[in-house]
Amino acid sequence: MLVLTRKPGEGIVIGDDIKITFIETKGAGIRIGIEAPSGKKIYRQEIYDRICLENREASQWNLADLDMLTSAMGKKESL
Amino acid sequence: MKKTIMTRFGEVEFDPENTVLFVDGLIGFENLRDFIVMPNRKNGPLFWIQSVEEPDLAFVLTDPTNFFLDYKVVPDARERAKLGIGTDDDCHALAVVTVPPDRKVTLNLMAPVLFAPATNRAIQVVLEKSQYKTRHPLPA
Repeated sequence: MLVLTRKPGEGIVIGDDIKITFIETKGAGIRIGIEAPSGKKIYRQEIYDRICLENREASQWNLADLDMLTSAMGKKESL
Repeated sequence: MKKTIMTRFGEVEFDPENTVLFVDGLIGFENLRDFIVMPNRKNGPLFWIQSVEEPDLAFVLTDPTNFFLDYKVVPDARERAKLGIGTDDDCHALAVVTVPPDRKVTLNLMAPVLFAPATNRAIQVVLEKSQYKTRHPLPA
């Protein structure tokens, strides 16, 4: 990992289309500004990781469970 | 021209002209773009999408308004551009369903799939500042 020291107001440029500015430190946090093309998706890492994990878990299912659930839900709806 | 793929649910025949394009894939599965929507085997709120490129990969989806009446996600201009639709076109928010071994189903309301029927395109978006979670249990 590349490690750099920056002062508030200074920035870094990644490639020719991503610019990150370090705005200020605020308590234990650091406020940063990001300029990137609008098509680039930017996530907070912990949220990105949580959704990756959830998508992975959601891909683990079997047809028997789905049939069972569909039947159970169908019954509920018809009541 | 129909094609067939062998999935973990058996052989699936599909029309390559009629697949759903996930413009950016799903989060964590960014390289998988083409999915087949599998017809409901029984009447019910759940259906599944099968990856064309990865036969082992399939997701269960549902319309969350079946369970959460006021759930609504409106795509912004950037998302509409990805879906290739205008402000007047339909866009459905669908939830990815997790079926854990105990079968206590949860819906990922934090990261819904936006689907545009007009273009057959879909994207998964993240509602970072909502109260919705990745594992919403079904209402009792």
